[in-house]
Amino acid sequence: MSSTRDSLAVEVPEPIDGLRVALQPAPALSASVAITFLASAGSGRDPPGREGAALFTLESARVAAGPWRRAELARRLDRLGATITTHFGPESSEITVWGPADAWEGLLETLARVVLEPRFDPEDVVKVRREMAERQLRERTQPDRRAELELFHAIFPRGHPYRETGAGSPRSLESLDREQIRRFHRRHYVASEAGVVMTSNVSSDRARRAIARAFRDLDRRARLDPVPVPPPRARGPEVRVRISGLTDVHVRIGGPSLPRSDPEYPALDLAHEILGGRPVLNRLFQNVREKHGLAYHASGELESMAWGGYWAVDAGSAPKNWERTRDALRAEVARLAERAPSCPELDLIRESAIGEIPLSLETTLEAHDLAVDLAYHRLPPDFWKTWPAVLRRVRPDEVRAAAQRGLDLERSRTIVVGAI
Amino acid sequence: MKSQPPRFRRPTLEGFHLPNGLEVWLAPIPSSPTSSVWVWYRVGSKNERPGITGASHWVEHMLFTGSPRYRKGEIDRAIVSVGGTLNAFTSYDVTAYYSTVPREFLDVPLDIESDRLTRAAITDPETDRERSVVLSERERNENWPEFRVEEELQALAFRHHPYRWDPLGYRRDIESMTGSQLREYYRRFYGPRNAVLIVAGGFEPRRTRREIVRRFGPLPTTGEDPRVRIEEPMARGERRAKLTGPGTTPLLEIGYRAPSVFDAQTPSTLLLDAIFGGDAWLFGTGGGWGRAKEHPSSRLYRSLVDAGLAVRAVSEFHPRVHPSLFTTTVLSAPGVRLDRVEGTVDAAMEELKRTGPTREEMREARLRIARGAALAYEGASRTAFRVGWFASMRSPTFERELYGRILKVRANEVREAARAIFDPSSRVIVTYEPTSPGDP
Repeated sequence: MSSTRDSLAVEVPEPIDGLRVALQPAPALSASVAITFLASAGSGRDPPGREGAALFTLESARVAAGPWRRAELARRLDRLGATITTHFGPESSEITVWGPADAWEGLLETLARVVLEPRFDPEDVVKVRREMAERQLRERTQPDRRAELELFHAIFPRGHPYRETGAGSPRSLESLDREQIRRFHRRHYVASEAGVVMTSNVSSDRARRAIARAFRDLDRRARLDPVPVPPPRARGPEVRVRISGLTDVHVRIGGPSLPRSDPEYPALDLAHEILGGRPVLNRLFQNVREKHGLAYHASGELESMAWGGYWAVDAGSAPKNWERTRDALRAEVARLAERAPSCPELDLIRESAIGEIPLSLETTLEAHDLAVDLAYHRLPPDFWKTWPAVLRRVRPDEVRAAAQRGLDLERSRTIVVGAI
Repeated sequence: MKSQPPRFRRPTLEGFHLPNGLEVWLAPIPSSPTSSVWVWYRVGSKNERPGITGASHWVEHMLFTGSPRYRKGEIDRAIVSVGGTLNAFTSYDVTAYYSTVPREFLDVPLDIESDRLTRAAITDPETDRERSVVLSERERNENWPEFRVEEELQALAFRHHPYRWDPLGYRRDIESMTGSQLREYYRRFYGPRNAVLIVAGGFEPRRTRREIVRRFGPLPTTGEDPRVRIEEPMARGERRAKLTGPGTTPLLEIGYRAPSVFDAQTPSTLLLDAIFGGDAWLFGTGGGWGRAKEHPSSRLYRSLVDAGLAVRAVSEFHPRVHPSLFTTTVLSAPGVRLDRVEGTVDAAMEELKRTGPTREEMREARLRIARGAALAYEGASRTAFRVGWFASMRSPTFERELYGRILKVRANEVREAARAIFDPSSRVIVTYEPTSPGDP
């Protein structure tokens, strides 16, 4: 039976004809297996004027593949006891199958078919188009989603891979047809930038052979073009969006940040945890919610990716409190850049983050997230074992310096959405 | 398909009662690196009354704001600083508080829960400060059309029973409730007699039992009987409401009176839900509560989504202590009127009432449930959750009993359940038509 240490020891064998592979032992209590295919096929690769192509492709692919139409694939998943899910971002599209450990070969075959032979049946394309149109509407009418969208538009110029959420616009969605989706799939679901991550108790040799066999038809020759990344915008005015009929106001402040490969990332990660990341201990929760009672929800977000990153803090408040909430959020961001955290505060946050790692190994899917993260960021196989020591080396002044670069209020924008 | 249900992977349970009435269940998982501690109270919004609606939920917030050994913020700090996670939730029937920690820190949550079980401070200043947070939580929910529709549906369906209001409570009650009212509510119901303590994961059972006796044993024998004796009479005639507001897509929700979790018809109603809408809540795929609710082979999906009439169509039957609702929720496709959607839902229900499920549908639904049950017990937290939910309903053994009965349900029993439940003369319907979105 596996132990805690085993699931942190992800094995990264030689790529199979360019296809990266990461193999992770399942946690001790696991009765299941999880397998993810990662493609460099996020919204950052949407062709100009065809925004939404990446997400449209992903969501259409997962519903029917090879010999299985939509209902047949669903029945197959039922018989296997499996669930298929997707995860999407500006840099990647991910498809994950999860199910009973004894069905792992069937799960792998299903995933490979979905990746290699999506049907893109006309009725599925119609259905996904409807869902994407609905998603676009939600982005316009739900205050948190609208604030996120507006912030992206405020800080990233046209052509930047992080500018759009992936849902596209009504016009771009209209321009996408089945052939466009097929083309996007052919071009981006290729071995050179892709990876397969498997969390199971199958032996490495056996797993690797099975993955090689399942994905043998993946295009090995194609190479993806580099993605242009124009510089983010400098500061600008506060953006206010009034939506009548809402009962609260969502305030979101954010700006560009550092890529994951930046040497200051560990210190920045701790800065983010102190500000708004670490559950209940973070300053936003403690001050904006607990001390001032301004909002039920107040937290921070840091996305450090390959082409760059962004940070944000946000809160939802009563209409009468939104200006105080905005000012409180700004004050907390500024305080971290002005003064290094105390040693006790840094130690508390750091040890909490380190202590949480065993909790990430409770279930197969939670452990799998660690391995996918490792594969996505191309981290070394022992990353999760060495990460605690890396965090323990970070000093308070380094946290402040990283906050000044990666949580920079001077280059931030403020978005206010709702009942203003 | 084997005739016998597959064995659960649930750990062997050890249960006992303390003299003060506290019910305890230990679920040792020797190899687990974590331990999860849950305290379930058989107290929820069903125990409130107009004027103090939302009290259970507000008390949930207040139990993080101070008790003799833990001042405000110290509970969070004690758990999170060792890498643990904690939270709580309130429903119509129960309230639960939980922490999961690396196994060597099990004593931390045990100490916290024993301290706040009967001795939470709930001061007036903290109550007033938390009022805006609770209001903010409600306001946040109100921005979701789904929340507004669900709240309206419950209010239409229940005129007497406390399921009438959402666990968040009415806004006017949140604005007016006092610290004194919250303290009275807490002292009345929050005691060992109404609590179930679950410890699951990596721990040494004998030592843990000793610790529980030492920490929880001295607590007073408190907690008034939380059973609710109000019965909601069947409605005589359909009830409807039309809502408008910000939103995206026209939404329809239909509710039919459905049996309580203890009712003999509940197993067949759970299968009805799996066949009609694709949900399999208690024993869903992988035990992932709320996952994969929509299903392409379900009747609703085929009638509405496949036919291009809806973006999403699901049914939901989450049985409660008292009879609740079997609901159907549909987001219409662009340009499709809700009356057309409603007519199609009705036709799908009538078809199921007339012919019952096919043999294939029965086989698929049972298989989905069996496969899901086999994966239901991954990890200490999920184990503690499941043991706690069934224990607070009746007993952890109730799970196996219910599961066995589900797998024995026959097609004609599902048809009978459909006929009994899908009665148009006592249903409730809420529609939501979005107004145009705002712009800068």
